[in-house]
Amino acid sequence: MPDSDLKHGFITDSSLCKGCMECMRVCPTQAIRVKAGKASYIPDYCIDCGLCLRVCTSGAISATTLDFEDLDRFKFKVAVPSASLYSQFPVQDSPAHINQALLKLGFDKVWDSSIEIEMGNRALKDCVRNWQGSYPLISSNCPVIVRLVQVAYPTMVNQLIPIESPRELAARALKRRYSQELGLAEEEIGAIYITPCQTKTISILQPAEDGKSDLDGAIGVNEIYNEMLGLLRDLDAGDIDTAKQGLISTTMLDWGTPEGQIKNLPKRRCLALTGLANIINVFDDIEKGKIRDIEFLECHVCHGGCVAGNLMVDNPYLARSKLLNILSQDNPTTREFEQEVERRYPLEDFTLKAPLKPRELNDAAGNLIERVKKQQHAGLVLDRLPGLNCGLCGAPSCKAHAEDVASNKYPPEDCVLLSRDRVALLQKLYLPDEPDQAEEESDEAASGD
Amino acid sequence: MADILMRHDFDVQGRNFDKAGEVSSEIKVILKGLGIDSKIIRRVVVVSFEAEMNVTMYADKGTIVFELTDRNILLTISDEGPGIPDIEQALQEGYSTAPDEMRELGFGFGMGLPNMKKNSDEFEIDSVVARGTTVHARIGHNA
Repeated sequence: MPDSDLKHGFITDSSLCKGCMECMRVCPTQAIRVKAGKASYIPDYCIDCGLCLRVCTSGAISATTLDFEDLDRFKFKVAVPSASLYSQFPVQDSPAHINQALLKLGFDKVWDSSIEIEMGNRALKDCVRNWQGSYPLISSNCPVIVRLVQVAYPTMVNQLIPIESPRELAARALKRRYSQELGLAEEEIGAIYITPCQTKTISILQPAEDGKSDLDGAIGVNEIYNEMLGLLRDLDAGDIDTAKQGLISTTMLDWGTPEGQIKNLPKRRCLALTGLANIINVFDDIEKGKIRDIEFLECHVCHGGCVAGNLMVDNPYLARSKLLNILSQDNPTTREFEQEVERRYPLEDFTLKAPLKPRELNDAAGNLIERVKKQQHAGLVLDRLPGLNCGLCGAPSCKAHAEDVASNKYPPEDCVLLSRDRVALLQKLYLPDEPDQAEEESDEAASGD
Repeated sequence: MADILMRHDFDVQGRNFDKAGEVSSEIKVILKGLGIDSKIIRRVVVVSFEAEMNVTMYADKGTIVFELTDRNILLTISDEGPGIPDIEQALQEGYSTAPDEMRELGFGFGMGLPNMKKNSDEFEIDSVVARGTTVHARIGHNA
């Protein structure tokens, strides 16, 4: 398969892949094939949802996140924790404790994004209120949603909220501040996002718009979890001002949770959606023109929002309850916080680094007549297939296999019910110790590519 | 008349709101598979969805015929419904004969036919009261 320039948030190690097909079965865009006992994917169709990473049992798929050693190239390292980080540790560990542990881990500073998130809320509200284009607007904070729209709903790209995410605003602000305070060049300052999912990593490595992220990379919560737990237990009581939660404003904790972004908007005209399948249903309805009176869709690809990200450790329900626990404590919004938001809001540039565009897919090869023939051919192949969607051909469904056949990617005989060769090959790959039962020329088993 | 490269016939069942929209979804999948420009697909989907809704709301049954030529997508929607007594009036935005129960379901705001017309390059309605309605829509493409 041609490798595109498109980067994704995964590293795949096919030597570890056991060919179990779990990833192929869950991929919502049917981008994965498992042909000779190894999974491979079509980069054009990947939207970085991370379901494959979540279900992979062999360790063949891992997130493209940074190692701690990678950070040594920076003179000054600043952690930008996702609010969801504060949901991952025991209840007695307040955000103040967790920030302290991040410093012990080796960061020079921990950046509190409360102000950027509050500004994000305001910018969102202004954007929805003053919008001149088509409704509903679609939240762009979850990078999977942006990529889903770019790949599968290209006409809706101009309905994605065109404002920069708070984590990017935070990175820009911290670089400005510490380069001034410390006399360092901005390149010498590392802004490292502590991420709940691999998708945010890819939004840093390769933003959905053409442009360069102000963040320098991301570390998954699961990568620092164990060490953080140890550090939290070893913290000196004197290190922490227990009178404070440790956050400038706890309202930041709402940002990545369902209904967290619509709280300042008229509820009747907003929907908070979670889960890819549900989101796809609603997007299909938008395309048909069925959704008329809704102005804003807040979309979280993970059920439960960012606390359910695929690099999180704790169960998302417990995690949510911990956030609620922090929110339930008395945290009056300080005057300083409000003043700082007031001061910075009019000065901040919320525009994206470049406009969002649909992703160009190379699936429209040949002229229309050839494409019609291909589709008809796929229909004829599909009629011959059993409709079991067993996946043993290495494609996620009979329909996907029929389309692969029509595109001359694989032979129809990859279907186990059409050819014993495929059975023999699978036997050899998956049951290598069993005596060869399919006596027929199993040596020539069709491997397809 | 240009050659028909592809044709699909779909049945639409009247009063079945549960299934309404499925034909448009199928048409969308076909057009996407053919690599038709997404802006064109969206227009076709809006036209076929509104047509499906009209059949579902007003008729007992109907059909949608989808045809593709090298330059055009043609949709022919026929139903055995009550017919439209005044077509010009029916094409005005906001004009609706839908009963309240339809409006409560979120349909029947008088945007259906105007929306279909707006999204078509050519749009024609033939209707006989008490017999039924046939709508022809043509949407050009340049694939």
